[in-house]
Amino acid sequence: MKIKNLLIANRGEIAIRIANTAKKLGLKVFGIKTSKEPNAYYLEHVDEIIDFSESQEEIPEFLDIEKIISAAKDYKIDAIHPGYGFLSENAYFAQRCEQEKILFIGPSADAIYKMGNKTIAKQIATKHNIPLLQGSLGNVRDYREALQIAEKIGYPVILKAAAGGGGRGMRIVENPSQMEKMFKMASSEAEKAFKDPSLFLEKYVREPRHIEFQVFGDKHGNYVHLGERECSIQRKHQKLIEEAPSSALTEELRQKMGEAAVKIAAAVNYYTAGTVEFLLDADKNFYFMEMNTRIQVEHPVTEMITGYDLIELQILTALGEKLPFNQNDVKLNGWAIEFRINAEDVQGGFSPSLGKIAKVIFPKSKNIRIDSGITNGSIVTPYFDSMIAKLITYGENRENAIQNAINALKRTVISGIKTTIPFHLAVLHNKKFVNGELHTSFITKEMDKLYYNEPEDELVAAYVAVFDYAAELENDKSMIINFQKSREISPWVLNKRIKSL
Amino acid sequence: MKIQLKKTKDEFIALSPKDVKYKIKNPFGEEVIINKKKQEIKIIEEDGVTFVIYNNKKFAVEIFEKNQNKYEIIVNGVSYQFSVESPISYERKKYLSKLQQQQKIEAVTAPMPGKILDLMVEENSEIKEGEPLLILEAMKMQNEINSHVSGKIKKIYVKQNDTVAKDDVLVEIEVS
Repeated sequence: MKIKNLLIANRGEIAIRIANTAKKLGLKVFGIKTSKEPNAYYLEHVDEIIDFSESQEEIPEFLDIEKIISAAKDYKIDAIHPGYGFLSENAYFAQRCEQEKILFIGPSADAIYKMGNKTIAKQIATKHNIPLLQGSLGNVRDYREALQIAEKIGYPVILKAAAGGGGRGMRIVENPSQMEKMFKMASSEAEKAFKDPSLFLEKYVREPRHIEFQVFGDKHGNYVHLGERECSIQRKHQKLIEEAPSSALTEELRQKMGEAAVKIAAAVNYYTAGTVEFLLDADKNFYFMEMNTRIQVEHPVTEMITGYDLIELQILTALGEKLPFNQNDVKLNGWAIEFRINAEDVQGGFSPSLGKIAKVIFPKSKNIRIDSGITNGSIVTPYFDSMIAKLITYGENRENAIQNAINALKRTVISGIKTTIPFHLAVLHNKKFVNGELHTSFITKEMDKLYYNEPEDELVAAYVAVFDYAAELENDKSMIINFQKSREISPWVLNKRIKSL
Repeated sequence: MKIQLKKTKDEFIALSPKDVKYKIKNPFGEEVIINKKKQEIKIIEEDGVTFVIYNNKKFAVEIFEKNQNKYEIIVNGVSYQFSVESPISYERKKYLSKLQQQQKIEAVTAPMPGKILDLMVEENSEIKEGEPLLILEAMKMQNEINSHVSGKIKKIYVKQNDTVAKDDVLVEIEVS
C-alpha cells in the first residue's frame, strides 16, 4: 500500500463503513471527534481520534476545510475519505488536498466541479448525445424568465438549485400562478444550503422512476458500470428505500443506460466511484439528471449483488491502481433492498425524533446486512442528518428479498426514539410495491397509510397503559415499567439545545 | 404473580383521542378481562426490552411518554395515545366534554423543531384554509406551514430567525 493511514472526514454509519474496509487494507484509521456528539459510536471504530471538540468555530467541523487540512498535516495523514455529504463533493476541498499532497479518495477537483454544476453537467451530456429533459439552457434569471420558458415547454416544470442535490432547492410548479412563490422558495433554500441561489428549470416528468448507475473509473482510462439501483421510494426527494437491480430494466435497456453512464464518466476523465442518475418515464425513455461524484448512501445494494467492496475499489483507484476487472467480469446476482432507518416520527409527518436511544437490537442472518451508526445509549442530536442506520436484505429474487426484509424489520427493536421502520413495513405490504410498480411519487400517490401495524397493536398499547397506571396506583415500584431509566436527557435540555442552534 | 390489590378499583378504561375504548379488568391477574372477554396477555422483559405476549405473538412495547394518566405507548414502533380512566372519572370526562363549547381559537403549532425563515402573515390579517403562514426550516429542509382553518390571525408568537421546539405555538387564528 502506498499509503499508511486514512482520515475519515465524516461521522455516523459511513465513517464506520469506511473504517472497516480501511482496516482490512491495513491502514491506520483516523476519525474526527466533535463537541456535538463527543461519545458517538463511530469513534469506537477508528484507531486514533483527532479532537475538534474544543473548536469554537461557527462553521461545522466536517465542513471546515482549513481546519481539516491543518489537522491532516499535523497528524501526517496520507489520505482523506470524505464519505458522503459534507465535503465529499466540494471541488475546492479536493484541490486543497492535492495542493498539500494528501490523497483525496474521490475524483479530481475538475470532475467534481463540472458534475457539481448542473448547468455544465448538462452541457457535457448534450455534447455526448445523452438524452436530457427539456428545460432552461443554463440558469434562470428570475421568475419572469422561468414563466417564459415554462410556457414554451409546458407545465408542470421543476425548479432546481444549480449547485444542489438531495432535494434541497427543488420545487415543482404546476401552473403559472405558483411560479413567483415557488421561485422565491427554491432560490432561498438553494442560497441557504449551497450558498448559491441560482436555479434552472426543466420539464417535470410525472411518476418517473429514479434509476441510477454505479460507475467506476481508474486513472488509466478504464471505465465500468456495476449495474443500476432503483431509488424511486422517496419523500420530498429524499430517498428512503433503494434496490438493485430494478424491476423496470431489461438487459437491453441496462446495457444502453450503462453505456450512457460510462460515457458521462469518461467525458470528465472520472476516476473512483461515481453515480449517474437518470429518470425513466413510463415509456422507458431515460433522461440524464446528474452525476454524484461520491460514494452513495445506497452503495451496499450494489455491493450485495456484485460482490465488490466499493470503498476498497474507491481507495485502490484513487491510489492509481487499475480497475481489477472489466465490464464483462461484472455479474449481477440476486436482489438487494436497502431501508434507511431514520430517527423520524412517521405519524408526526416524519418530524425529527431526537433523544437518547435506549436499546438497539438488530437481527442477524446471512441475508441481512446492517450498516449502523448507533448503539445502546447513542444520542440523536438535531445537528446532523436523521439517518441512524441502514438495513439491507438480500434474496435470490425480489420476492425473497422482500420477505427477508419484512422478517428483519419486524425483529428490529430501536427504543427511546421513533424511527422509519413502521413506514418501511407499510411499503413492503403495499401491493404495487410488491409488484414492482414504483415511481417517485409513490409515497403520496400509492400509500393510504404511512405506517404498518398489526390488528392487536392498539389493544396491546391500551393494556400497557392500564398496567402501568394500576401499578402506580398500587405504589408498587417493582411493577412499574421502568421506561425512564434510559432517558437522562430531559425534554427541557433538548429544547434548550435546539434553541441554541 | 399475586398482588394484594389495595387502592386500585378492579376496572380501568383506556381511552384514545379518537374515543376508542378498552375496558380492562384485573390488569395484574392471570386472566385479564378486556372489553368483557377473557384474555391471556402478559408483560415480560427480555434483553432490556419490554414485550407483551398476546395471541401467541410478541410485541415490543415502550412507554414513550407519560404524564399522570396520559400515556403515549409505542408498540412495534407505532405510537398510541391513551388516557387511563376509572369508571367514575370516565363519566365525569364525558359530561365535561359535552359542556365544553366549540373552541373558536385555533393554535398552529410547530410540527417539528426548527427555525422560522419567513413569516407570510401579520396580526389581524385574514387567512384562508391551506394558505401559507410561515416557512419553517428543519433538518435543512424548508417547510411551508399552512393554515388548517380560515379566519383572522389573532396573535403571532414568533418572529423571523426564531428557533422553535416541536409543539411550540406559532400562530393563533380566530376561526371564522
